[in-house]
Amino acid sequence: MSSRFRASLLLLGGIAVTLAACDREERHSRSKPIGETLPAGMSPDTIWPGGTQPPALDPRAKLYDDNAPAIAAGQQLYSQFNCVGCHSHGGGSMGPPLMDDQWRYGGRIDQIAASIAEGRPNGMPAWRNKLTDDQIWQLAAYVRTLSGQPSKDAVSSRADAMSSTTPGSLTPREPAKSSGTATQ
Amino acid sequence: MSMGRRAPLVLLALGTGACSYQNYQSTFGNAAIEARQFNTLFVIFLVVCAVMYLAVVLFLFASILRRRRAGEANVVEDGRHHLSSPLMRSALIGWSAVVVVGLIGLAIASFFADRSMAKAASGQKLSITITANQWWWDVQYNSADVSKMVRTANELHLPVGVPVRIFLRSNDVIHSFWVPSLAGKQDLIPGRDNDITIVPSKVGIYRGQCAEFCGAQHAHMALVVNVDSFPDFIKWWQHQLQPAQAPTTPEAVAGYNYVTSRQCGACHSIAGTPASGTVGPDLTHLASRRSIAAGTLPMGQGNLYGWVADPQSLKPGVHMPTIGLEPAQLHAVVAYLETLK
Amino acid sequence: MRRTGGALPVALLCSAALALTACNRSQPENSSPSATVYGSPPAGNHAVPAPAAFPADDGNWVMPGKDYASTRFSALNQVTPANVGKLGLAFTFSTATTTGFEAPPLVVNGTMYLVTPFPNILYALDLTKEGAPTKWVFKPKPLAAAQGVACCDVVNRGAVYDAGKIFFNTLDGQTFAVDANSGQQVWRAQLGDIQRGETITMAPLVADGKVLVGNSGGEMGVRGWIAALDEGSGKLAWRAFNTGPDKDVLIGPDFKPFYAMDRGKDLGVKSWPPDAWKIGGATTWGWISYDPETKLIYYGTSNPGPWNPDQRPGDNKWSAGLFARDVDTGKAVWFYQSSPHDLYDHDDVNEIILADIPWGNGRRPALLRPDRNGFFYVMDRRTGEVLSATPYGYINVYKGVDLKTGRIIPVPEKAPHAGRVVRDICPASPGAKDWNPAAFSPVTGLVYIPHINLCQDVGAMEANYIAGTPYVGADVKMYAGPGGNRGVFTAWDPVNRRKVFEIKEDLPLWSPALATAGNVVFYGTMDGWLKAIDARTGKLLWQFKAGSGIIGQPISYRGPDGRQYIAVVAGVGGWSGAVVAGKLDTRDPTAGGGFVNAVKDLPMKSTAGGMLYVFTLPR
Repeated sequence: MSSRFRASLLLLGGIAVTLAACDREERHSRSKPIGETLPAGMSPDTIWPGGTQPPALDPRAKLYDDNAPAIAAGQQLYSQFNCVGCHSHGGGSMGPPLMDDQWRYGGRIDQIAASIAEGRPNGMPAWRNKLTDDQIWQLAAYVRTLSGQPSKDAVSSRADAMSSTTPGSLTPREPAKSSGTATQ
Repeated sequence: MSMGRRAPLVLLALGTGACSYQNYQSTFGNAAIEARQFNTLFVIFLVVCAVMYLAVVLFLFASILRRRRAGEANVVEDGRHHLSSPLMRSALIGWSAVVVVGLIGLAIASFFADRSMAKAASGQKLSITITANQWWWDVQYNSADVSKMVRTANELHLPVGVPVRIFLRSNDVIHSFWVPSLAGKQDLIPGRDNDITIVPSKVGIYRGQCAEFCGAQHAHMALVVNVDSFPDFIKWWQHQLQPAQAPTTPEAVAGYNYVTSRQCGACHSIAGTPASGTVGPDLTHLASRRSIAAGTLPMGQGNLYGWVADPQSLKPGVHMPTIGLEPAQLHAVVAYLETLK
Repeated sequence: MRRTGGALPVALLCSAALALTACNRSQPENSSPSATVYGSPPAGNHAVPAPAAFPADDGNWVMPGKDYASTRFSALNQVTPANVGKLGLAFTFSTATTTGFEAPPLVVNGTMYLVTPFPNILYALDLTKEGAPTKWVFKPKPLAAAQGVACCDVVNRGAVYDAGKIFFNTLDGQTFAVDANSGQQVWRAQLGDIQRGETITMAPLVADGKVLVGNSGGEMGVRGWIAALDEGSGKLAWRAFNTGPDKDVLIGPDFKPFYAMDRGKDLGVKSWPPDAWKIGGATTWGWISYDPETKLIYYGTSNPGPWNPDQRPGDNKWSAGLFARDVDTGKAVWFYQSSPHDLYDHDDVNEIILADIPWGNGRRPALLRPDRNGFFYVMDRRTGEVLSATPYGYINVYKGVDLKTGRIIPVPEKAPHAGRVVRDICPASPGAKDWNPAAFSPVTGLVYIPHINLCQDVGAMEANYIAGTPYVGADVKMYAGPGGNRGVFTAWDPVNRRKVFEIKEDLPLWSPALATAGNVVFYGTMDGWLKAIDARTGKLLWQFKAGSGIIGQPISYRGPDGRQYIAVVAGVGGWSGAVVAGKLDTRDPTAGGGFVNAVKDLPMKSTAGGMLYVFTLPR
């Protein structure tokens, strides 16, 4: 093998590896399939009597969980649909904070999506008929960035408006724990 | 016909073609004072620069083709100063003078063009605020009587002969406002207020386009500008102030119920109904517009169906989601949207 | 040699340090700030409460403002500066809630009534028995979802007693009438709709047989109104909206605003972009005063919505202003807009103290208002003319009030605009003083104002309207104003328009004040100190550390045994204390409407609570 042949082989190999890295996440512009409903009755951490298993993570979660376009879309929706009015930029206001590790109704992405869709008893509105399921998943993906859950390369590194909290790419990870009380 | 004979005919055809569309969306359009000033300036620059260019080319050819007289050393070989040759000296001085005069002339032309545009723009009688979003134009007509303000989207109506000052803002990234037949480009920069003044001079319809790459659908961010006579413009404004008509047919009523209670009202506003969303274009008089989705499609029933059913397939990445309506819901919604004249 | 030489200086230093710490130990940790005295109370002729609205004190406390003139003044004088140091606990009561407690206890002939924040439980305590046992409990059971549309903690500002009934509002928009003896419901009215973002947090007022109720929701795109219900039946007598066409606002030929800027037809529509008045705010969540002589009620309207002013050009009538209405018909008599085209969420819902001020050779019927925008207004209460508007806090966003046109003069560089951040806005959105009312003492002629010193940065953006969700369009970050103290207690001379004394407090003051004829003034701090100060000099006479921060109205009443009692419920919360009541995260400075940034230390200084404390002098 001549050295030039080796060199060009190496070059080709490098290009192939680089191109493979380019397609590491899929950006879809509409939900697949269209119009499918969200997981219903996705409970928070609770008692599963008699040895029943808690439900597994919804298979659609991986389309959104570490997906940069989904998180970016969720970041826009978070302001546009007034989540910021009740939850601020994660610190809470009328609604509880989203940037800590306390989750009344579960902190997994499918549990968050279910909370957004169904509403919750102490004042969380039900968005099922006002947002498409795709948008609700995107919002859930963004909400997870407020407590630093997704991998840092998928997260937006700056806010859209006045920047007040730590950028998402520097937010420390706070794995979800169940909160003390779910009631008033 | 030989090539030589064909060429002028082709050019003529192209030229007339360009002329007949000249005022729809053309940099050579002259439908506003600004555009005409630009055209004049362009012609001056073209002529001056063309003359300069021809002269340079001629000199180049002359110098290549001129034979050296036998035995004559050239200036460089000789070591003589180039100015000691009278011909060379006068040629250089003359050429410098031509260049200086030409540049001064261009500067003067540019200055006067700018001054006359500013003069035409003074005393603006009408003020509009355009906020660019990805990928649509939010148009708001300002008024001293705030209850007469009008909000519309992707379409401008301007009265002929009246200076109008358009304030340009952006909600997300940098866009650029460009209606070539009327005026030049002006950027819309987030966090900054820009403005452009236009004095339309010809009644007609013109097309504008976003001229700064702003994302996946930058190519589908057009703007339709209608320049009307002043009475027509007032009539249009008064019509825009009317709230949306209440639907009468059962299908339109069902569409109204869907639009105001489901996803649509969260982003769009329709005056006179509970839908008051500001995230998407105002739809109060949607059916009176010439195009859908910032020039993506011409207005029409079929296109409305297609857009409402699946906007992502027509303009992938647009912020309006594909909702996945049932067929009956789709018929109802489009029936209602068509009543929004 | 070297070792001992090195040890001796260290030992000296250590003992010196120990000695110094011992010096500090004699003072309490919260070493109370002393009052800065600027002058003395006015001698001789000073302001007095409007006589028709200020009856003789019977030792009860039947309405949140104590009387229709809203003086919050008790004529009981057993507690004086000489003996207040001996004040001690008589009894306590846990209200079983841990959110912000803003309501005063009511005392009527030996029974004390308490209405709690959500879930708005009404307790009746029997004061005639030892330990004040519970007589009855009324549970209105409001909808839990109402908590999601209450902007500033799930508070309730109190109940009112009249003709044998207790009237109060619930968070989900109902008004209840409960028999004061038996605790049975007499009637119930549903006035607000939480689906539109409406709640009710205000304390009603009963005047001339009508129960006056107003809604909340200026941050939710709600259309504001005030309603009058018949006291006996609960039927709606009239409802006046605060935006919209004249027929909705009950503006007719009797409407005579003093200033030209408030005159015109259908200004509630014309001063808004089309349809914006329908979601324009101007709610009635604050205080109402009543003049029985002229039968006029006075109340202020809230901020216009959204906070982003670019979305609502125009004066935005009738928001951020003061209405005078006829109590029987609701018809508007006059209106004054203190902040046309409000830029800073400067609601106008603060208390309206009805007072007659010396004027020329006699007296002029006036009203006194420490307003949210930082100006202390003295106005003629018959016509709405502004007699004076004097800053009582630090203001850099207004140049002043033009008394000829009545219009406030904003500073253009400080106006928030969409897409920009404006910094150093003073006073901040809660103003120089928020809802917590001042007290007025006819003995000293001074208005005792517990208030705040905060500035803010605002970034405005376009707000999207979705019914039932916030409609704000602004990110806010608040911080302490000039001087570094976030709270300040001011004694203000309304006639000579100056501070008499001032006490700087570390935390914002969010509790109302109580003035007594014994010349002792009471107020509470957000870290739980109930303080008694001298009404003339501001000297701290006595303080008590309660279990939670105090944002509720202290009251004074005569117990069945003839002794004077002081009562207050301590439970921190409200907009300022939301970081504790709502368990917000201090890492987000824009949380809690921007307030969290100003009180990041509050969770360490106060925990949540809801405890009634009643004090008296020893026998």
